[in-house]
Amino acid sequence: MYNYDFLTALKIEDALYYLDRLEKVKILAGGTDLIVNIHKKSSRLPHFDYLLDISNIEELKFIALKKQFLEIGSLITHTQLIEDTLIAKYFPILKFAAQTIGSPQIRNRGTIGGNIVNASPAADLLPPLIALKARVELVSPGGKRELTLTEFLSGPYQTKLQENELLTTIKIPLLNEGYLANFQKIGRRKSLAIARLSLALVTRIDSENIFQDSRIVPGSATPYPQSFPVTEGAVNGKRTTDLNLEEIGEIIAKEMISITGKRWSTPYKSKALSALVIRALKEFISKAGTK
Amino acid sequence: MKKIKINLTINGKKITLKVNPQERLIDTLRDRLKLTGTKEGCSIGECGACTVILNGKAVASCLVFTAQIDGSKILTVEGLEVGGKLDPLQQAFLDHHAVQCGFCTPGMLMSAKALLLKNPHPTREEIKTALEGNLCRCTGYEQIIEAIESVTKD
Repeated sequence: MYNYDFLTALKIEDALYYLDRLEKVKILAGGTDLIVNIHKKSSRLPHFDYLLDISNIEELKFIALKKQFLEIGSLITHTQLIEDTLIAKYFPILKFAAQTIGSPQIRNRGTIGGNIVNASPAADLLPPLIALKARVELVSPGGKRELTLTEFLSGPYQTKLQENELLTTIKIPLLNEGYLANFQKIGRRKSLAIARLSLALVTRIDSENIFQDSRIVPGSATPYPQSFPVTEGAVNGKRTTDLNLEEIGEIIAKEMISITGKRWSTPYKSKALSALVIRALKEFISKAGTK
Repeated sequence: MKKIKINLTINGKKITLKVNPQERLIDTLRDRLKLTGTKEGCSIGECGACTVILNGKAVASCLVFTAQIDGSKILTVEGLEVGGKLDPLQQAFLDHHAVQCGFCTPGMLMSAKALLLKNPHPTREEIKTALEGNLCRCTGYEQIIEAIESVTKD
């Protein structure tokens, strides 16, 4: 099973060439998940004949401000997300989320593209990226297409990436004035913790202190991270002073159970998820109050 | 399964190797080059015992395939001592009793070294963050942090 050839791509076009002409190619980037699975001969890893290393494609290592978007190359590491000034300015929520990932050793190798394509239910960057309405650009020899992350993710550890496609760019629409973003995470310990539960919350509080356009995305709560439209609807249109936080906590727990059914972890996760959404909303309300 | 030709600079010395596609950096260091100062603990990137410095950054050498890092510079614990003189961090670990069983020590030293290369005067919190990927099961963290602090305050 582990009799594969190692291929190196130094340019996007080299990678596309291999993906187009060869069958059963597995793409390797930062390797923080894949190398462990290869070394352990994990049964979860499907058979492959070629391992295509893209980690040295310099074209995929950029963070750039475009007109309506911040664009992030798929090989940007978690450390680079933490240290980049554009991320700190426009999307500090991504910096906070990246800081909670693994350890310096993991953050120095693991990439934003890998975190997305690996599509773990506990992926730390997915809830904030979904809440920010991020889009992914997928390039193939035939051209390119763009999907929202919601469209791209199709199940736990599953995406709509085609065999001849490469994730090159993550595009995040810039937020207008008035938007706030918050990321919460619970792990068994502070470092190296796989999220037991996380929550990304992006919302706008308008000039009359009313919540608008709330985007609420828990992590590790559902088979793969997704928006919670019922909870979002319950928050939208409410004035910061009138929002019944306990009620929102109950609604988000019910919405989780409506997706997952009752599981062994439900008694813990419904209480903890309620607490996370209340904590995030309280932080927003106190910020709105100080304006 | 073709072998891959790789050039590396390890502790200042240039070498050329032909490696297997599954060969991790830790395998290259320990089995091929007999640089056994770098330890293999968990093999899944969580314990930090295998930490080395790759192009200036701390990495877990169990999470890197050697075939990925052609042309790279690697510093291992063996490269800390220069001209028979211990690195100030190594001396500080001895002076502050920061070594108990010793298994985590090479990884701790390399995480600390990576931090100081980038930030010679870190705060205590920054030191703790730099060490968050390194486990010590003798629980000697306090002495390790004190040892690193003593070097940064000069």
